[in-house]
Formats: sequence, C-alpha cells, structure tokens
Amino acid sequence: MLRYRETGEMHKDFHGGTSLALDFVADRYGEQALSEILHNVGTKVYASIHEKLKRDDPSELVEHLAYFYNREGADFDLKVSGQEIILTLRECPAIAHIRKLGLPLSKHFCRSTTDLNDALCDGTPWATETRILAEGQCVQRFYRKEK
Amino acid sequence: MIPSDHFVRFYNEIFKYLDAHGGLEDYFQAISEQQEFHCLQAFREQGLQGVYDYYVKIRREENCGLEMILEDGCLQLIMTRCPSLSKAMDNDAGVCPRYCEHCPGWVLPVYSKAGLFIIYDVMEHDQPHCHSWILDQLGSAQAKLQEVHQARPGAKLLTNF
Repeated sequence: MLRYRETGEMHKDFHGGTSLALDFVADRYGEQALSEILHNVGTKVYASIHEKLKRDDPSELVEHLAYFYNREGADFDLKVSGQEIILTLRECPAIAHIRKLGLPLSKHFCRSTTDLNDALCDGTPWATETRILAEGQCVQRFYRKEK
Repeated sequence: MIPSDHFVRFYNEIFKYLDAHGGLEDYFQAISEQQEFHCLQAFREQGLQGVYDYYVKIRREENCGLEMILEDGCLQLIMTRCPSLSKAMDNDAGVCPRYCEHCPGWVLPVYSKAGLFIIYDVMEHDQPHCHSWILDQLGSAQAKLQEVHQARPGAKLLTNF
C-alpha cells in the first residue's frame, strides 16, 4: 500500500521547480549537498518504501513506480520479476513538461531519479542502476543483491 | 523522477538544508524569479483579474481549499486548506518550521514588479491556512492595512509597501 497516493488534478509546473532547486543547490552548495538532500528524500520522505526494501519487500516501490509514472502520463514499461524490477522510460513526463514550458532543464535533473533510487536502496538487500539512453529516456533497474 | 505530487516534500527538504546552511532567502528570490515566468506578465497587464485567473488554475491543479473575492479594487485570497503545507505536514520526514515563508518570499517581489500591493497574513505556521489582500492602488492598500490591523490585532502582517 502506498504511503502517499495523491488523486485529482496535478500541477506539473512543479517539475520546473525541481529543475531550479537542483541547480540552485548544486551551484551554491556543491554536488554533495544535492546528494545529501536527495538521500534524505529517499530515506526519510519515502521512509515507507525504504523500510520495506530493508525488509526485502519491494511491493511499495513497484506500486509507487506504476502509480506515479501512470499518473504523470509517462510512456513507459514496468517489468517485475522475483529478482528485479525494470522501468523502461521512453519519454520522461517531467522533462517533457519542462521542455514544453520552455524553462531551463537542469544538467542535474536526472539525479532526482538516480540519487533518489540509490537512497531508496541504501542499506537494503536491493541495488539499483540507471542507464540514461537519451534526454528523457532511461532504463531504471532495481535488483536483489547477490548474497 | 520526483512526481509533481511530491515536489512539495522535496522542496521541504531543500528548505531544511538551506535553513541549516544559510541561503533560504536567496532561494526564495530564485523561486520568485522563476515564478515571474508563470505569472508576471498577466499580473502586470491584467492586474487583479490576472491574479484571480492565475489562482483559478492553481486552485484546480493543486487541489486547494481557496476562496477568492474580487471586489472594489481588492482581491482577497482566503486559503482554507493549503495543499502545499498540508503535504509538507503529511510527510514522514517532517515539516520545515519555516515552510510557510516561501510563499510570501516569492509572491511579494512578483507583486511589487507587477505594480500591485499585498497584505499577507500567514497566520499559524502549523495550520494550512492564510489570508492575503491584493490591491491595485497604494492608497487603498494603506487604508486596508489599517483596517486589517484593527480587525486582527497582533497579527504579523507582511506587506510589499
């Protein structure tokens, strides 16, 4: 069950706010600050997903990915097996919206995926890797670490 | 991707970091400059009606409890359920005590650039409600400020004039 499960309308302009925030922090405080903040998001804001992963339970992570990428209207596939979860994103809805608005896209933007995923898995039996294929296209893989 | 639904909780973590390391006010200014992209032209060219129309969109997209009254050169925004603070509070990471400050932090400069005058009562920082009055004439804003001061003695009112 999802800890956060918003319904109703969405304010997609917030993706522009994410882009600004990433640049503001990285430019002023350095990449390490960005890592620290995104680690807090992954482990504290998403404590429910993180704690379940610690108990080797990826169910909320899978539900989270499916629910929010669907809700944002993403073009994606999500494949789940016992050992891995693979999200193939053909068009990132966040980047697409920022481009549609004509706002600057932070060069750090994908760290809101990669660092966040790393934080979710930190100290758990799960690991993650993301391959960025092109702007707005990536493959996010979560997998059980070998024992 | 941080879902747009969860931006507020990310934002809240940024505020905590900047509150601890310094620079929160500079960040509010940066937000304000980005918000100019979304609303300054409409505020400047259409005045209070532009503000009203902007908040119609915000009310719908952000699922606000927001009452708006536009009459006699004054727009009142009465936030009865702020979705932003509500989410920051409904959050396993906990709310930044200075969370509410971002709102006047960005709107006051935008209204100033648009030639509008605001009186902002942020009210309690742990309750998702606030009240603002936006006016298009300085004299009317000064008179409204006196009226609000009398009606709400002790309120910490923020203004841009």
